Amino acid sequence: MVGIMNPVSREKLASLSNSVKIAMDLASKLDLCRQLKQDLLEEDAASLSDFLPRLFDLYSEPSGPVRRIIGEIGVKHVEFAPQIAPFLITVLEDATPAVARQSISSSIDLFRRTLEKVAIQGLYSSELDSDLESSWSWMLKLKEKIYSVAFQPGSSGTRLVALKFVQAVILLYTPDPNGSPEPPPEEGTPVEFNITWLRGGHPLLNVADLSIEASQRLASLLDLLRFPTVKSLTSSVIVVLINSLAAIAKKRPAYYGRILPVLLNLDPPSFVIKGVHVYGAHHALKNALHSCLKCTHPSAAPWKDRILGALREMKAGGLTELTLNEVHKSNGSLEEGKDYSSVVKEETPLVKSCDAVVSNVGRKRSGTEDSSDLADSDGVSGKRFRSTPSVSEESTKDSNRNTTMSQGDISSVQQTTNKADVDTGPVQQLVGMFGALVAQGEKAVGSLGILISSISADLLAEVVMANMRNLPPNRPHTVGDDELLENMCIVGSDTQAKYPPSFLADVASLSSTFPPIASALNSQQFASKEVIQKIEGDNEGDTMAGPNNAVAYAGMPHEAENALLATDLPVSSDIVLPGMGKTDVPTPSGIHDVGSFESEIPGLDSSVRTDGLSDTQAASSLVSTDVEDASQEQVSYGGRSPLHVLPSISTDRSEELSPKTAVTDSNSMISSTATSVILPRFVLPKMSAPVVALSDDQKDDLQKLAFIRIIEAYKQIAVAGSSQVRFSLLAYLGVELPSELDIQKILREHILSDYINHEGHELTLRVLYRLFGEAEEESDFFSCTTAASAYETFLLAVAETLRDSFPPSDKSLSKLLDEVPRLPKSVLNLLECLCSPGISDKADKESQSGDRVTQGLTTVWSLIRLRPAIRDVCLKIALQSAVHHLEEVRMKAIRLVANRVYPLPSMAPKIEDFAREMLLSVVNGDATEGKDAEGSITESHKDSDSEKPSNELQPMSSIGKDISADVHQSETSQSMSSLSVLEAQRCMSLYFALCTKKHSLFLQIFIIYKSASKAVKQAMQAIHRQIPILVRTMGSSSDLLEIISDPPSGSENLLMQVLHTLTEGTVPSAELIFTIKKLFDSKLKDVEILVPVLPFLPREEVLLLFPRIVNLPPEKFQAAITRMLQGSSHSGPVLSPAEVLIAIHGIDPERDGIPLKKVTDACNACFEQRQIFTQQVLAKVLNQLVEQIPLPLLFMRTVLQAIGAFPALVDFIMEILSRLVSKQIWKYPKLWVGFLKCAQLTKPQSFSVLLQLPPPQLENALNRIAALRAPLVEHASQQNIRASLPRSVLAVLGLAPDSQSSSQAQTSQAHTGDTSNSEKDAVAAEKSKESSSAS
Amino acid sequence: MKYRYAMVCSSNQNRSMEAHSLFKKQGFDVCSYGTGAHVKLPGPSLREPNVYDFGTPYKYMFEDLRRKDPELYKRNGILPMLKRNLGVKLAPQRWQDNAADGSFGIVLTFEEKVFDMVIQDLHNRDQILLKSVLVINLEVKDNHEEAAIGARLALDLCEQIEAVESWEESIDDVIASFENRHRRKLLYSISFY
Repeated sequence: MVGIMNPVSREKLASLSNSVKIAMDLASKLDLCRQLKQDLLEEDAASLSDFLPRLFDLYSEPSGPVRRIIGEIGVKHVEFAPQIAPFLITVLEDATPAVARQSISSSIDLFRRTLEKVAIQGLYSSELDSDLESSWSWMLKLKEKIYSVAFQPGSSGTRLVALKFVQAVILLYTPDPNGSPEPPPEEGTPVEFNITWLRGGHPLLNVADLSIEASQRLASLLDLLRFPTVKSLTSSVIVVLINSLAAIAKKRPAYYGRILPVLLNLDPPSFVIKGVHVYGAHHALKNALHSCLKCTHPSAAPWKDRILGALREMKAGGLTELTLNEVHKSNGSLEEGKDYSSVVKEETPLVKSCDAVVSNVGRKRSGTEDSSDLADSDGVSGKRFRSTPSVSEESTKDSNRNTTMSQGDISSVQQTTNKADVDTGPVQQLVGMFGALVAQGEKAVGSLGILISSISADLLAEVVMANMRNLPPNRPHTVGDDELLENMCIVGSDTQAKYPPSFLADVASLSSTFPPIASALNSQQFASKEVIQKIEGDNEGDTMAGPNNAVAYAGMPHEAENALLATDLPVSSDIVLPGMGKTDVPTPSGIHDVGSFESEIPGLDSSVRTDGLSDTQAASSLVSTDVEDASQEQVSYGGRSPLHVLPSISTDRSEELSPKTAVTDSNSMISSTATSVILPRFVLPKMSAPVVALSDDQKDDLQKLAFIRIIEAYKQIAVAGSSQVRFSLLAYLGVELPSELDIQKILREHILSDYINHEGHELTLRVLYRLFGEAEEESDFFSCTTAASAYETFLLAVAETLRDSFPPSDKSLSKLLDEVPRLPKSVLNLLECLCSPGISDKADKESQSGDRVTQGLTTVWSLIRLRPAIRDVCLKIALQSAVHHLEEVRMKAIRLVANRVYPLPSMAPKIEDFAREMLLSVVNGDATEGKDAEGSITESHKDSDSEKPSNELQPMSSIGKDISADVHQSETSQSMSSLSVLEAQRCMSLYFALCTKKHSLFLQIFIIYKSASKAVKQAMQAIHRQIPILVRTMGSSSDLLEIISDPPSGSENLLMQVLHTLTEGTVPSAELIFTIKKLFDSKLKDVEILVPVLPFLPREEVLLLFPRIVNLPPEKFQAAITRMLQGSSHSGPVLSPAEVLIAIHGIDPERDGIPLKKVTDACNACFEQRQIFTQQVLAKVLNQLVEQIPLPLLFMRTVLQAIGAFPALVDFIMEILSRLVSKQIWKYPKLWVGFLKCAQLTKPQSFSVLLQLPPPQLENALNRIAALRAPLVEHASQQNIRASLPRSVLAVLGLAPDSQSSSQAQTSQAHTGDTSNSEKDAVAAEKSKESSSAS
Repeated sequence: MKYRYAMVCSSNQNRSMEAHSLFKKQGFDVCSYGTGAHVKLPGPSLREPNVYDFGTPYKYMFEDLRRKDPELYKRNGILPMLKRNLGVKLAPQRWQDNAADGSFGIVLTFEEKVFDMVIQDLHNRDQILLKSVLVINLEVKDNHEEAAIGARLALDLCEQIEAVESWEESIDDVIASFENRHRRKLLYSISFY
């Protein structure tokens, strides 16, 4: 009841609305609004009335969403329409489209409710209450307002809803043919409102007025879609309009006639709005038309053809589907058409190859196409009966009501089937017309011409297409052309007598274009043959087999195949006889032939006839039909459907023609030597074999067997050649057959059983492409996936077999993989295993030879070249192989990668990255490993250290630790070093190979060298092993020089190796020498780096460098000396051995800052090489040295060494010594010691030299080396010598005692005593030196 | 998010669920449906698909297929897909039976056939609310890779739609710009609830 309201909820509502007002942010406002709405909807009507003003108040909210929610409130309550409607009208003009839309949405609800209420109240009383009346008037205002929105250009968003509103109003205002015509007995029952409830006398609503308004509005809607208004619409408006109109048309079929023309005229091109996306509208139109098509209302029927046409055109615009298919589709007989065509397709190759298959197919066909067969045979039999009158005029006059009736049944069946045809509209009508005209023969030539010229080429094509369906079912297409010719012949010869050639041609062409007509003619001929046969049987019953006989024969079981084969041949030849007898056909030779032919095969003859007869019997024993009646009946039917004009008229014609036709027909048959190839054409459906129901398994088996048989047949074809075309068929068949049969396996086996001879590659590709196409097709998910997996299986199986059964040198696998549409992962895996044997855990792969690897790599390479899309994957495979643990494999892969792939610019960076990564992995991985090892070793040593009690030993032990650690490490690494070196090599080879291609990469090796040298011996070894090869390949390129000019620190050893390699056996380029010198001057002061190029440096420079060379460690010095002495092959030695020694002697330890020890070592080193530093060299050297002033420090030492090394030099040395005497050697204390020592060593030869010394020096010498005195005195006392000696000397020797001389000697002794002291020291020093050097 | 979204394909397994999953992650209010009669999943061969009724939990299918042939279904990606799905929602739902789920603002279909069915279904419903619904078809091939691409495209499209004030005003522009950007044709229609 009104007025009672829960105060709580009222308060709540009030507070809610207030809080909505107050709420600050949008989100909370929205929440509150929603809550408010919810609450309001739950309240009863009364509370609303109080509350509405508040709500409207809320509408002043600035934010759009809030206003929208307000708009939704309260529309359920019709009572408040007068209040709400003005509000809604205001809202309509809201600036926010969403709010305006909401207003319209609310309006339609309100409008509908109000209308219902008004209508129903008006039904029961003549007066309406005033509230309702005012509500209604407000509603009308509201409606007008929305109309104006709908029909005036404006915001398209609002317009969409407004248009929808118009649609709703139209639907409300017009009677619903499907709705209940009576109002519901009670108010409130959920029956949709129907305007038909209103009858005359409603106080407010006038049905007629309403429908007029609806009609006007509809017109406005339609106007919108008319040109040119439509141009100004957005496509969303158009879509909505189309949808709305389609909905109206569907729900109110009365408007069908108004709406459809507009829709149909809505030319797709006119959709180009703003030049883009017409698809939405286009699609909507298509859908609309489709939905209209489904309408079953009678007023929709006349439009079907036009809709179909329009739809077809839309499709044709897309060029997607064949018109033929479209016709079939619209006809609902798509299935049949497809079946048929596929059957024909399957037949084609088989018909040629073997007859047995033909019969098979025939049977199959009759099995699968029961319905169509039925229709066909009905049609044929009907026609046959119709043609019977031609002859039966003479023979049978009895009428049989029963058969007539049954024929009536049949033809009614036929009519229904024909009706289906008629549904396709103009096309079928045209077919009918053509048929009729052709049947009229000569008379119709003109009309035919006119008809053909008057219809468009498209339509004509469609007519032809439509006709295709009526082709004789067993007509083999492969021989179609020949046969067509023959057909023309037949028709031609049969009409020749009567018709002018022009018509002849027309008919011929027509009959070839219109198979049904042709077949109709044929069947007439055929029928007449039978009839003739019958007559003949009657007339000459005694000689030939009579009807009784025939019946008896008919009972005999015939095998289907035999029957099929048998019928055709004889029927034709057989019939000739009666035909001949009756009509004088001017073909004597033909007759003759026939005669002879017939007499030759009497056996066949009889069996044939029985067959024919039994057939007619079986057909339904209608042979004795009253034809007059039948044809009458036919005519009457024909009146109803145009198609039936054909048979009834054709009867006339066949009356005239049939006998002759038969004859000529058979003539031509004979003249074409009655080959069995074309005979299947005459296998009429009536011969259908008994239908055997097969279980699924049996069907499967049959299919499988058939397929196997086909494959077997292909083996023959392969031998015969020209199998290219057929492969597609085989592949198609293999894929199309259900996959459970595992047809693909059979196919695969066939392919693989003899890959080469069966052109396996071609066939495989075809199968794969087919599967691929299926997988890529826009079909549903699961068939895609299935096809994809079938594809994978097939390809993988073929690839595996190719791998396993062919020699590695075979290119089939590579070719296959190059050309298949897609390479799934599994196949790539297979390739990977091939390239990197041992990757998979299969043990047998180990036995794979290197050739397989080559095969795999070649394949990968060709894939990289030919399939850019999967380059990366292939590259990965190759790279994997390039770090393979077997060197053979690795080297092959590296050759491929470095020589072939690397030059491809796109691939180079990836290869480099990979190689670098591997390179670093060696260094880094091993570094940590090495550290670990070291750590553990020191650890263990610490333990051992702690055991040692004394602290003093600590330094010692730490040294020992270092040593032992080294030993230890080398031991541990020794065990695995051979392995690790290989491992390091495995990872580095690729990089080295790349370095030869791109020299700048070499820098990386220099960089890692340092880190590697810290920890990883293996890596070092690996590097050192590789470097010579690498560097030799590279030569001193500019990149390499650049690296050399600025080597990373820590890489000196490597650098040395590189330099050695570079200078080995060749003359280094000037650039290289320059670079090295520059490096030496600027960065690296170590003279060692110059050693490799020493032979190529100018002599002066070498001499300058010499002291530093001497300063090198002995072995390096040795090497340097060797190099210098060897020199280069071109310029000869840079220094001679003598020069070397002289240079050594030229070093002043103090000046050059080189320890004396180094110099003596250098000398020693020279003396060790006696074959170089020979006697002569030494003599030469001494000769020169002795001239030097001052004398070189080591001169005497060298002399002593020379004597030690070459005793034969003693004479020469004596000469030197005497020269020294003349040079007053005693003035050089150090050398004096050496001199004396030398004299002692060379006694007695040295006596003469000693005696040359002045007496004080001699005395000094003798005092120093007392052992000399006695032999010298003895020597001097010899007569001849003594005479030559001066007195003073003799006095020193004590041979001529002289006081004066003794005093002199005394003084001199005293004088030399000082020096002797110092000399003693020198000698001592010398001695210690010698001893140390000797050690 | 202004609108409720529905993703529709034929089996509510691959394309719609891919999109559903993605949209859900992006915080959209989204549902997904299939329009087919049954949920069909690939089987061992073309002739023996795995057929389930709508409403069969993904979990059940997952277990079922895992029992049948784990290798096959893992290889063809069905098991991973189901696993993804069962994390998104309970079971595949059928579009035609979704009246109870309320009205959607935007419906995305991934196949023209599905698009037609959705439109037709919407037309067959009683259009009482007059709430407009935008139905867009984005043609997406039914395989895993394409579905992932399709879902991203769909997301992009819907973000554009969200970005404009109301699609009713500017849908043509949104569609045109999408088509230009991605070189994919869209088909749209407008219907009402």
